[in-house]
Parts: sequence; structure tokens; C-alpha cells
Amino acid sequence: MSINTARALRALALILLSVTSAIAQTATTRMVSAAKAFLSTLDAKQRQTVLFAFDDAKQRQRWSNLPTSFVARSGISLKDMNPAQRSATLALVSSALSPRGFEKVQQIIEGDEVLKSKEHNNPLFGKDLYYISILGTPSERDPWMLQFGGHHLALNITVAGERGVLTPTLTGAQPALYTMNGQTVRPLGPESDKAFALLNALDESERKQAILSYRLADLVLGPGQDGKTIQPEGLKASAMDERQRAMLLDLISEWAGIIHESAAATRMAEIKAGLNDTWFAWSGPITVSPGSNITAYYRIQGPNVVIEYAPQRLGGDPAMHVHTMYRDPTNDYGRRFTGK
Amino acid sequence: MKARLIALAGIVVSLGAPARAHRLDEYLEATLISVEKDHVQASMRLVPGVAVFPAVLASIDTNADGFISPAERQAYAESVVRDLSLSVDGNVLAPRLVSVHFPNVEDMREGLGEIHIDLNADLPRGGPDRRLVFENHHQSRIAAYLVNCLVPRDRNLRILAQNRNEQQSFYQLDYLQAGAGANSLLLGSSSSGRSSLGAMLKFVLFWFHGSASMFHLGTRHIAEGTDHLLFLLALLLPAPLVVICSRWAGFAGVRRSVFQMLKVVTAFTVGHSITLAVAALRLVDVPSRPIEVLIAVSILVSAAHALRPLFPGREAGIAAFFGLIHGLAFATTLGNLGLGRWERVASILGFNLGIETMQLIVVAAAMPSLILLSRTRAYPVLRIGGGLFAGFASLGWIAERLLGLHSSIDVLVDGIARRAVWIAAVMFLISLVFWLFGDVFDKQTTATEPLS
Repeated sequence: MSINTARALRALALILLSVTSAIAQTATTRMVSAAKAFLSTLDAKQRQTVLFAFDDAKQRQRWSNLPTSFVARSGISLKDMNPAQRSATLALVSSALSPRGFEKVQQIIEGDEVLKSKEHNNPLFGKDLYYISILGTPSERDPWMLQFGGHHLALNITVAGERGVLTPTLTGAQPALYTMNGQTVRPLGPESDKAFALLNALDESERKQAILSYRLADLVLGPGQDGKTIQPEGLKASAMDERQRAMLLDLISEWAGIIHESAAATRMAEIKAGLNDTWFAWSGPITVSPGSNITAYYRIQGPNVVIEYAPQRLGGDPAMHVHTMYRDPTNDYGRRFTGK
Repeated sequence: MKARLIALAGIVVSLGAPARAHRLDEYLEATLISVEKDHVQASMRLVPGVAVFPAVLASIDTNADGFISPAERQAYAESVVRDLSLSVDGNVLAPRLVSVHFPNVEDMREGLGEIHIDLNADLPRGGPDRRLVFENHHQSRIAAYLVNCLVPRDRNLRILAQNRNEQQSFYQLDYLQAGAGANSLLLGSSSSGRSSLGAMLKFVLFWFHGSASMFHLGTRHIAEGTDHLLFLLALLLPAPLVVICSRWAGFAGVRRSVFQMLKVVTAFTVGHSITLAVAALRLVDVPSRPIEVLIAVSILVSAAHALRPLFPGREAGIAAFFGLIHGLAFATTLGNLGLGRWERVASILGFNLGIETMQLIVVAAAMPSLILLSRTRAYPVLRIGGGLFAGFASLGWIAERLLGLHSSIDVLVDGIARRAVWIAAVMFLISLVFWLFGDVFDKQTTATEPLS
């Protein structure tokens, strides 16, 4: 055998090996290797800033919808990274999310850059003010947690073996509609459109039940409100027909589908199982200007899911500024799997 | 002051981004209420927006030294409590401050600081059916109120309804409190076990303690469910009459009238009891929309029958048939309470008794007038007028429920229903007067002569 043939064979074997391992790779293994790759790009001091104990309850709850200079996130920001570290961070975040979820996150971050330029390069905002932190040691067996967030974004991803849990997670957008490379971007557009379509799919008596008679100025269970379950209100999904229930599930998937596909599938099955006891409530205008976002608050609440969509008056137009919250009262921070 | 606020907001906005990042011209006052067996807790989060912060600070830092002293914190928290009102079953409660937490002034100035005030109040003993009212009038000009209640940890407590005004400054919570003392222990232990014995025990206990409030809910439902009453009343309109030549004629006699009315009411009751039980136990699952339409149709049928006899002598059968449909709608009300299966059975009994009682009250109030009036020449006016009204109302509801058209029929009917007691009293007076004069008519015309 010539040396060349041997080399070619060895290369082929390597390719085959990596292909098979890629196929065999689960989402958790992908995340763990991405996390290790990310940590390997950091120096010792940076690593110390990024890593926390898994049971550090204070760090776990250190997230917010507010700009980072107001509520300091721990960990390390994209701003304080070199290009290799930055791309390793984004690779890690993307390994934890579905393509659609990652795109949503990118659009939220780009939106903050748009806000920055609108606000005369205000140093409060911008796409590099997003922080990453890791609680525990990335492992395929033991639980650990990845946090990534900044203004209008707080991803809290708990990994426990093959399980992945995204709750609690906050998404928001300001401006909630902007133009990028000639394309109109609405980071939370489907959350608005699908809810509006569902409201319109209800008949008169169902709508009467779904629409609350009072104004809701903000999230009820926003940051800092962990572990609370409020009395549900509105229209119960058991009173909906199959089409409406499918629409409700599809709307929920805008949050449940942010995480990588296998965790999302488990999550959607869980939510579907509790659908009969899931409520849909709406407060505010029942019209929307074409192409724009709704200006109404809505809430979806079931046995294992709470979603709130709360347009904010701040900035003048509630259609342009929205906060949303995604929780699982039975499993925030993956409590059910980690016992923490 | 408003102009000043706007000016202030303008200044803050023009200062740049910080103002855009968080709450601006409102004072967010979010309250979470949690009800326990013998006390109620309220946790308040107060977040002044940037533009209103100076005003809020002025009311806290009363000596204006830029520093919030412990005494000022306490005094402010007490002033908040004074602006609240909390009552249960009409008894005013005196909430105690449990804890007061202030952020630092700088955070608050930026619209970030949350003041936390926790309150606690003892609940007096009461019946199973309780109503808690929480009002917040603190800084009402600038406030954005939020009020919610937590799902009770105590399984003997069950939330029935929450009502608020638009600003959420008024909040009313209706809940059930099953069991007291030893019973609640039993109920608590049986609810954790899933044995059928536990379930039976729970059923019996809930029946004793919960059915009273379900009874109340039932009476309220039928009183508020004007469409059910309208169906029944329209069907009762021609009950005291006999049919001659396919038309409604004169009075059929007191005994026959009373018997006829009782027959209709009982048939309706039997009908809706059957489907209420079947649907509430989730043996069948019916969508609410077609049911609501059919209920409107049932009113149209009974209204038409009041105008011209469509099914004379078979009113009871019709009442029973449509009763089946009305029962399905009652079941949705119960279904929305999110009760378990056994609690549901107990609830059905109480709820149904409530409906029957309210129904009997309405029938008892209407029957004397109907019987008195039906002996006079004025009766066709009431019968045709009432029939037409019910007919129009049902057409409005059909249009609303079937086609999604908007009609103001609910407003109209609810307006009438709210004055039901007065209307019934006036009707009774009128019928008395007509009956007295009717004696004069009776001498000229025989009672059985066709009147229309």
C-alpha cells in the first residue's frame, strides 16, 4: 500500500467516524462539547467570571428584562470577548436552541443594536451587551445550566441528562418592528400574529370569556416572581374546538420551540397533555394595524405553562415595545429533574 | 398637575434613553393575594416610574433630606395600608404590616426600585361561600394597579370568581371554603390519597360544606342567565289559557293553570338535571357554541307558542326537551370552575338545587300575576307583548351566537332583569287592578269567550 493510499484511507476513516458520531450525537452531547469548546477559549480569570456553582440560587435568579447596566448580569459579555470567544459563545447558545429559536434570539439582539443607533449610540444598548454564564459543570449526566441574556432577553436553560428545560425565559423587543437589509423584522411577530388569529377564531361567546374586563399594564409574573401560581382566568381550552386548540398549541410553540428540537418535542407533548386545563385570556384592543403588532396583553396558563405577552407603553407605541414571559410553575430552572 | 407630569415626562424623554428603558409615568402597584384557612396575605410590589418618582419620593421622604429613614419607611407603609380596604363577607379587616422593604433611592430614581410591603389579616369564621374585597386607592392619579390571587395551597379552598373594575383598583374574590376543624383534616388527608374510600369521604364532606355555596352559585346563575328564564317565562305565558280553534282563548281555571305551570317547570327541571349531570361528569363533551344557539332557538319556539298555540297540551314535553339543552349550558358553568370528578357530583346537586330554587321564586312571583291577569281582557296584551319581546330577544341572540353579529340585546335584557323585582311587583299591582275591574268585564263576557 502506498503512503498516499494509506493517508486517503485514514482520512476516510476519520470522516466516517465524525459523521457517525455526529449522527449519534444527542442535543446534550452537542451542548456539552460546545460548552467545553467555549470554556477552552477563555483564560483562567474569565473562566472564573463565567462559572458558578449549580446551586447558586442568587445567580440563577439574576436575570431581567432591563438593560444590563441597570440590572448587572454576572458572567461575561460579548463585548469583553475576542472574536473566537464570541463565536464560541454563539455556537454554544445555538447548540441549545432550535434554528427558529436561535433566529428569534438574534433578532432580539439585533433589535437592541437598532435601539442603540436610534438613541444616538446610547451605551446602555447594543448587541454586544449580552452576557453568558454557566452554573455547574457542563456534563452529559449531571445537571448544569446555561444562562444567556441582556436587555429584553433572559434564556435560562437547564440541562439534566437528555432533558432540556427553557423555563423561566424572558423575551422582549424594542423596537418590536425594524428594517434590516431592506427586510422588515419583527422578532416577536408570530407571537403577536398567532394570538390575534386565535382571538379571531373564537366565536362571540368564547371571546366574551377570553377577554378580561380590566387593563393589564405589565407582566404579572415577570422577573423576580419565581414559584408563584396565580388563579387562571379567561377561556378554557376544553371549551375550544379542535381548530382553536391547534392554534393555541401553535402559539405556545413560539416559546416552547425556542429550545432544541428534542427538548421542544417533549415539552410540547407535556403541554398538550394539560391542554384541557389551559386558559387563554386577553386584555386590551382587539384590532391591529396591518403588518404591525398587537397592543393587547394576553396570557396562556395551564398546569405546566404560563406565558404572558405584555406590550409596554414606554416609548410611546405599545406595538413597538413588548415583554414576554415563559414559565413552567412545576419545573422552572428544571427543578423537577434537579431537585434544586 | 397633569400638565406638569407631561412636561416632566417630556424632559425625561429628551434626556435620552434611560427613560425609555423602564417604567415612566406610572406608579405600578402590583398585589398578589393569598388566602389561607384563617388569614389572608397580600404582597405588594410598588414601582414608581421615573417621571412620577419625585412625587412618590416626596410622599416618602417627608422631611425632604434625600434620605429615607426607618421611621419614614414605616410611616409610608402605614399610609399605603390606610389607602387600602380589605373586607371579607362584608366585615372590614385590619391588615397588619408584616414586612417592609425599600430599595435604595438611586435605583428608585431610575425607575428600577421595587418597594415591597407584605400584609396579613386574620379572617373571621364564616360560611363556606366567601367573598373577599380588596380595594387600592393609593396614589390613584398615577397608579397602574395589578391584582391577582395565588392558587390556594389549602385544598379546602377553591376560587370561584374574580371580578375587577377596569383599573383594578377594585378586586372581588369569591371562593369556597370547605370544612372546618376536624373535617378539614379529614378532607386534607383524603385528598392526598387516591383511594376510592378517600374520594367517597371527600365527596360526602364536600357535599356538606361545598354544596351550600354551589347552591348559591346556582341561584346566581339562573338569576343572571336571563336566557334560561326568558324561555321558561315565555312558555308559562299561555299556560293559564285554553285553546279554541287553534287560538289562545280564555282562562282555563285556577287549578288547571297552577297544575299546568308546575308541570312545565318540573319537566324543564327534569330535562336540565339529566344533561347537567351527564355533561358535568364529562360523560359527553359538547361544544358551547351550538348549545348557546339552540337555547336561543328554544326561546324563539316558546315565544311563537305564546303567540299561537303550536303544541298545546304538549308544553311539558317541549319543556323537558329544551331542558336537556339548557342543562348542557349549565354544565359549562360548572366545568369552568375546574373541580374534580367527585366534587363535581356534590356540586351538581347543590348547583341544581340552587337553580331550582331560583326558578321556583321566579315562577312563584310570576304565577299569581299571570293567573289574575289571564282572567281579564288585558291578558292578550301581556301574552302577545311578552311573546314578541321574547321572540325579538331570541332572534338577537341567534344572530349574535350564530353569525357573530353584534346586537345590544344582552344589555337590554340584563337591564330588564336587574329591575325584575320592581317589574314583578308592578305587574302584580296591575294584575290586581285589572282583576278587580275584570269582575265587571266578567259579567259582560264569559270567561271562555275567545279574546284574540
